Amino acid sequence: MIRVALPTGDLRKDTAALLDASGIGIEDYAAGSRALRFPMLGGDGAIARVFREKDIPVQVALGNYDIGICSLTWIEELAQRFPSHEVMRVRDLGFGAHALWLGAAGDEAEASLRIVSEYPNIADAIARRMRLRRYRVFPVWGAAEAYPPEDADVALIAAPDAAAVEAHGLRAIGCVLESSAWLIANKHSLATRDLSPVLSRLLGGGGASTSAPALRVPASLSMREAAPRPARTRLRLALPDGHAQSHTIAALKMAGVRVFEYEDGAAVRRPRIDVDGVEVKVIRPQDMPQQVAIGQFDLAVTGRDWLFDHLVQFPSSPVEEIVDLRRSIYGLAVIVKDVQADSVAGALKEWRARSDAPIRVASEYPNIADHFARERHFGRYSVIAIQGASEGFVPEDAEILIEGIDTGSSVRANKLTVLERFFESTNCVIANKQRPEGAMRATYDALVETLRRGAAEPVAAASGGA
Amino acid sequence: MPGATTPQRSRGMRDLLPDEMERLRAVEDAFALVCRAWGYREIRTPVIEPLHLFTAAGTLSPQTLDRVYSFLDWDGWSGERVVLRPDSTIPAARLYAERLDGGRIAKLFYSQNVFRFTDDGSSREEWQCGVELIGDTGTGGDIELVLLALEALKPLKLPEMTVRLSHAGIVRAVLAAAGMSAEEQSAAYDRLLDGDLSVVDEVEARVPQLNAPLRLLFEVEGGGSGYIENLRGPLASAMPSLAPALDELATVVAALEAQGVAPVIQTVLARNFEYYSGLIVRIEAGGQRVVAGGRYDDLIGLVGGRHVPASGFALYLTPLIEQITPAARPAGERRIVVQAEGGGPALLSAVYDAAARLRASGLRVEAIEGMHSAPTHRLICREGSPKFTLVWPDGSEQFERLDDVARVLEP
Repeated sequence: MIRVALPTGDLRKDTAALLDASGIGIEDYAAGSRALRFPMLGGDGAIARVFREKDIPVQVALGNYDIGICSLTWIEELAQRFPSHEVMRVRDLGFGAHALWLGAAGDEAEASLRIVSEYPNIADAIARRMRLRRYRVFPVWGAAEAYPPEDADVALIAAPDAAAVEAHGLRAIGCVLESSAWLIANKHSLATRDLSPVLSRLLGGGGASTSAPALRVPASLSMREAAPRPARTRLRLALPDGHAQSHTIAALKMAGVRVFEYEDGAAVRRPRIDVDGVEVKVIRPQDMPQQVAIGQFDLAVTGRDWLFDHLVQFPSSPVEEIVDLRRSIYGLAVIVKDVQADSVAGALKEWRARSDAPIRVASEYPNIADHFARERHFGRYSVIAIQGASEGFVPEDAEILIEGIDTGSSVRANKLTVLERFFESTNCVIANKQRPEGAMRATYDALVETLRRGAAEPVAAASGGA
Repeated sequence: MPGATTPQRSRGMRDLLPDEMERLRAVEDAFALVCRAWGYREIRTPVIEPLHLFTAAGTLSPQTLDRVYSFLDWDGWSGERVVLRPDSTIPAARLYAERLDGGRIAKLFYSQNVFRFTDDGSSREEWQCGVELIGDTGTGGDIELVLLALEALKPLKLPEMTVRLSHAGIVRAVLAAAGMSAEEQSAAYDRLLDGDLSVVDEVEARVPQLNAPLRLLFEVEGGGSGYIENLRGPLASAMPSLAPALDELATVVAALEAQGVAPVIQTVLARNFEYYSGLIVRIEAGGQRVVAGGRYDDLIGLVGGRHVPASGFALYLTPLIEQITPAARPAGERRIVVQAEGGGPALLSAVYDAAARLRASGLRVEAIEGMHSAPTHRLICREGSPKFTLVWPDGSEQFERLDDVARVLEP
């Protein structure tokens, strides 16, 4: 069986068209079906599975899939960290053009340059090759363009051109990678298996280059070291975007705090709050614990799950939960499929009896997954950090999925089994244990008290997250 | 549990078995003995160091930096990464700048491992013995390092050794004369190191007025002072910036020749060109590099200290332990295994008493026979009479008193 990893998201339409033109079209995939697996070649000899793009090179490198289609940026992101991985770049498919750009808000930087990106491995490689004297890379789930200048000196972001970088209010330093969709294959599969029923069709129509562009490293960032920043005089509050936004809006409303251009669900990065001495930035909830730990924000509204993920990675981090907002309720659970056992320990025995291969734990919470596997004495295991489309991972691509679940309807719909629900998550306010000093302290205490009072109000309809 | 044939080692990591450890310790012990005799003192630096120590320009090349094991520590929420040390000189420079810098010369040595990712099947963990001579020691320091390295290698009885010398100032002067930036110089040096002499043509094309036979530098491996004089004549007059490097090299070579060392001069010698500021040394044995080092006067400043000149070298233990012959067991050495005939706590205790008594006589005595014991004698202990029987391949003798056993066995 030839296993093919196909992208969801931006590349889906063009990929479906390519499959059609190659004579191996998948009608439901082209139609945007929510299904995650599709038979190919009439169900005989090949199967396609839909992933978030970032997961595709990882899955092909692991050998779970023989062939994949995804952006060069994600292939390069994997290659920069794991140079001897098993991914062969077969051909540029000529669609999905975009680029990675370095941008800065100004021409000054901290002595330890702060680089923010969804592509931390590429950012790290560029910093090394530029011989930057001292730098830090903040890996983020999104909104990297919103970090400079307050929360980062340089952002590495996906953008079509310099104008798009500048539209974010950043100075375009340089394009570091021209990207497009690429056909990739697992090297071992290429060397040992006949992939031609799919591969030769995909290559049949010719296409663009077979030589991937290399990283272009700018000669200089054209930045000088900034003088030490004066102490902040305004309290900084981070609010989440995405699914968590509606729950946060409800919590703020209950506390009587107005955040204009946020409370109506808008996607504004720096909304205005009706509390004097406070400024707000909207970023991903996943990224907040680290930002609070390094003192960029005094308070942040995130989920207990992301705080837990941060604290198991950095046990001495100075971040703590100070107000439970009691919304966005769901649990982190161990999910499996086609397992007889009704406990994690039993499932471990079952897998160990079958094979001594590493137990694959897939999760959007890689640090929690790692922590869980260590605590439960998994023995030989590997954690596969994933971006989404998670219900499709077990049992083919992982033995265990660690995932946030609400009512469990999605689990049931996919005929999955919850072995254990081991952590309860709600949204919460987090803070650095080092409280603000001086004039900001009164503002801080007042805002925390307001949020705490709001959280004490009855929650009308507790609503779930994942 | 997986079977014994299932590899459980992490890829690229190497076990050192007892025979290899004996040879490794032989090198370390010989090295430490010589270093102490020359007035050097031992240090050990942490396995984990901050990444930024190694990212400073002029410390490690980008190619090496791409191979370091870097990660976020348990308290790495600030985003600053740490590394498993990929090199020992930079940590030693950091240690000096942080703990020892009092304006006086520091003479330090170490024996420790370094980690670099490789994907060619070679080990990702390497053991090195090294020396750091930090402070203004001038050319005398360069001479001392070469002689110290040779003396440390002497007891190892290696196959034929070659001492190769160069001076970073030579290539730097040539490439700078061609108007190359620091980055261009590094790239050109790497090409030269790979044997690409078209760089020389490029330099000559950039500065045609030079009219100097640059290929003399790059195509010929010279044999000591005579070669340096051959270079000095035609080159130093055309390119005066070469003179200081050639002068320093000539001094070192002449001093070594006076000590009976015949160094080979090789202009392009070591990777990590940016690292070195003066003399570069490489010693080969059996065709393998066993020592590399040189002068790196800018390093202490780059890791945050004052500008203090420094130089050093490292012995590479992997090729060394492959080349040395394990020390033979001393002729006539007696290795005794003491055993109990029967059980019971009193008898087991008596075995250890007997072993201790015999060890006190300078004998090698084991109470448990292991796979490497190879005993020459066995002493059987029992509760009845005779209390002891000493057995050897072609005889045996019975005793009532341990002192009598010791008298028979003592050398």
